[in-house]
Amino acid sequence: MIAIINYGLGNLASVKKALDAISVESVITDDPTEIRNSSAIILPGVGSFQQGMQNLRKSGLVDILTDEVMNKKKPFLGICLGMQLIFTDGTEPEPCKGLGWIKGKVVKFKNNGMRIPHMGWNELVDVDETKFSKQCQGDYYFIHSYHAIPENDFIVSSKVNYTEKVVASVSYDNIFATQFHPEKSQKVGLELLRNYFEKLS
Amino acid sequence: MVGNPVQTARIYNSRGVDELVFLDIFATEQDRNLNLKLVSEVIKECFMPVSIGGGIKSLEDINDLLKIGADKVVIKTMALKDPKFIKDAVLFFGSQCISIAIDVIFKDQEYVIKTGPNFDEMNLTDFLNSMEDCDVGEYLLCSTDDDGMMNGFNIELVDYVSKLTNKPIIAIGGAGKPEHFVTLFETTNIEAAASSSIYHFTQYTPQDVKNSLKTRGFNVRL
Repeated sequence: MIAIINYGLGNLASVKKALDAISVESVITDDPTEIRNSSAIILPGVGSFQQGMQNLRKSGLVDILTDEVMNKKKPFLGICLGMQLIFTDGTEPEPCKGLGWIKGKVVKFKNNGMRIPHMGWNELVDVDETKFSKQCQGDYYFIHSYHAIPENDFIVSSKVNYTEKVVASVSYDNIFATQFHPEKSQKVGLELLRNYFEKLS
Repeated sequence: MVGNPVQTARIYNSRGVDELVFLDIFATEQDRNLNLKLVSEVIKECFMPVSIGGGIKSLEDINDLLKIGADKVVIKTMALKDPKFIKDAVLFFGSQCISIAIDVIFKDQEYVIKTGPNFDEMNLTDFLNSMEDCDVGEYLLCSTDDDGMMNGFNIELVDYVSKLTNKPIIAIGGAGKPEHFVTLFETTNIEAAASSSIYHFTQYTPQDVKNSLKTRGFNVRL
């Protein structure tokens, strides 16, 4: 059973719907036991970094998630804000601490004339072929004003070209996290999720 | 939409449209709320982003829509009546999910916004400034004079608004053939357009529009 973390923010229903569509059993939950017993954890999220951390703290889930992902090495999939929160530092709307699982900072897009937020479909570039099979390469749906800058470049498994090349996904150990929304990216997105969960089972 | 919305959404999803905008344009006028059950059925068909609008009056209304899987909500009347509400909505849910619908008419040599039967007309630039101040996520810019006419987008209007904001703009109103999209993207610096009449009343599909754009060198998802 996959645990989709409910922390009062974001596109939980869409993630669940996508998993249903590829016949992967999941539950939307904030229950510690259910999270402990899950085979993998998905942290979705839409909203601001600071609000996201506040909600996670309020629901008392920070320690449990950190223990499951960092100590017990449970497979973890972060999506959008759920990717950003795993970094050490956020800046939205002001400097604040994240979950800190991966060293790096989440910053606002530079204003160089491009329209912000980055909203729409965009292709992945500099793709790590070992992480994205051929069927999973293509256009994904993005909707964000902030992007992550990891301290170590080797964890970056794809980028997207918007204002400059920025991180589209990171892969490290049991962590896979995407700035884009696979659950909103039609065929290619569902294929990515199917691939991901097939590899786990 | 014409016909059954759930079936229509299913077809749009299977045809790979990039986004679905679902608006109940009479909700405010008829003083009723969105039919959440119907909207939820529509969203269930969509594995692409969905924007929902019509009669949104409170943070609770927004939350109800996000909870059932809407990616963005589209607000019109409340944005004209109460910018403070929009500011609160942006702070609470993030700017990326708050879209503002602007229905523009050209009257007495200026662009004004149709504000419904009970409001005065508002100057377009003033309204845009108030929304920029709220840091909203995007604009659905509709030229009311051209909507449903299928004679092409209002390029002048789109160009005018695109210079006043750095937010994404979706142009609505006037598309009748794929060439109209080509002209829109060749002559303005916006990156999105929405349309319905062309798909309901002509033989063209979203794929035809995208193919036309692709052959003219635009980066579209096929």
